[in-house]
Amino acid sequence: MPGMSKSLPQLKIVNRLHVLRAEQRMTQEQLAKEVGVTRATIVAIEGGGYNPSLELAFRIARYFKTDINTIFSIEEEI
Amino acid sequence: MKRVDTILLKVFLYGIPVVAVLAVFAYLYSTGVVNHDTGYAKFANSFTGLVFAVWMTLAIYLSIRLMVSGPFREQVIAKITFLRERDEREAILTGKATKATFLTSLAILIFLFCLSCFQVSIYRVPPDKAVDGKTGFVTLGLSFSLLADDKQDRPADTIPKEHIFSYRGLPISSEMIILILILWHILSYNYSMRRLIK
Repeated sequence: MPGMSKSLPQLKIVNRLHVLRAEQRMTQEQLAKEVGVTRATIVAIEGGGYNPSLELAFRIARYFKTDINTIFSIEEEI
Repeated sequence: MKRVDTILLKVFLYGIPVVAVLAVFAYLYSTGVVNHDTGYAKFANSFTGLVFAVWMTLAIYLSIRLMVSGPFREQVIAKITFLRERDEREAILTGKATKATFLTSLAILIFLFCLSCFQVSIYRVPPDKAVDGKTGFVTLGLSFSLLADDKQDRPADTIPKEHIFSYRGLPISSEMIILILILWHILSYNYSMRRLIK
């Protein structure tokens, strides 16, 4: 595929999930249940250890009645 | 079908310790440690054979189901690793654990293949048969046979040799190697998954 051999800079995706959750006074367990994942996954997303799929990102955004860019953004290029 | 598979899988897994105990008994019986004359021992030996036959038949059936049924594979992996894919993150971790298991297994298989092909022999010949005044020899070789009993007409040694060391492939039986690989697959997957899920 064209461009596959190039080493692209890695993008660091940050999120405001813990902020939104705190605003709603929700536990990780509650949010996990609402969006259909495990609490460990919410912990991993908040800690930056896991970037959710587009589907899960949309589900989270829909739950908080906002758009994806409000929750997930690119902080810097590594 | 799914319910039948679940029951058979449980029977198979819970049967493993029973089969292990009976295998020890069968070994003791065949080596003569257990007295063959008592009726009880004879009955136990026959019962052991019956259990082995049933368990092996079950193993063949389940391995065929494992090859052809996707949902059954999911069921089995949850049972043997005590881990279930509950969401997308765990599905990704499953993939990573599988990759780690596949690559380590491949490395082990290549290593075992090399060990089974490799041959070394260190020996001495009588002084009158010395070659260039040397009586000690080291021979290195590679052997690859398509069939297990690939007996060829090898010429008999014409020179009497005093073998000091001889290695002709892995001294482990093929059953043992297969068993080790099965256990390795389960343990490696389990370990990788638990390490990644932390």
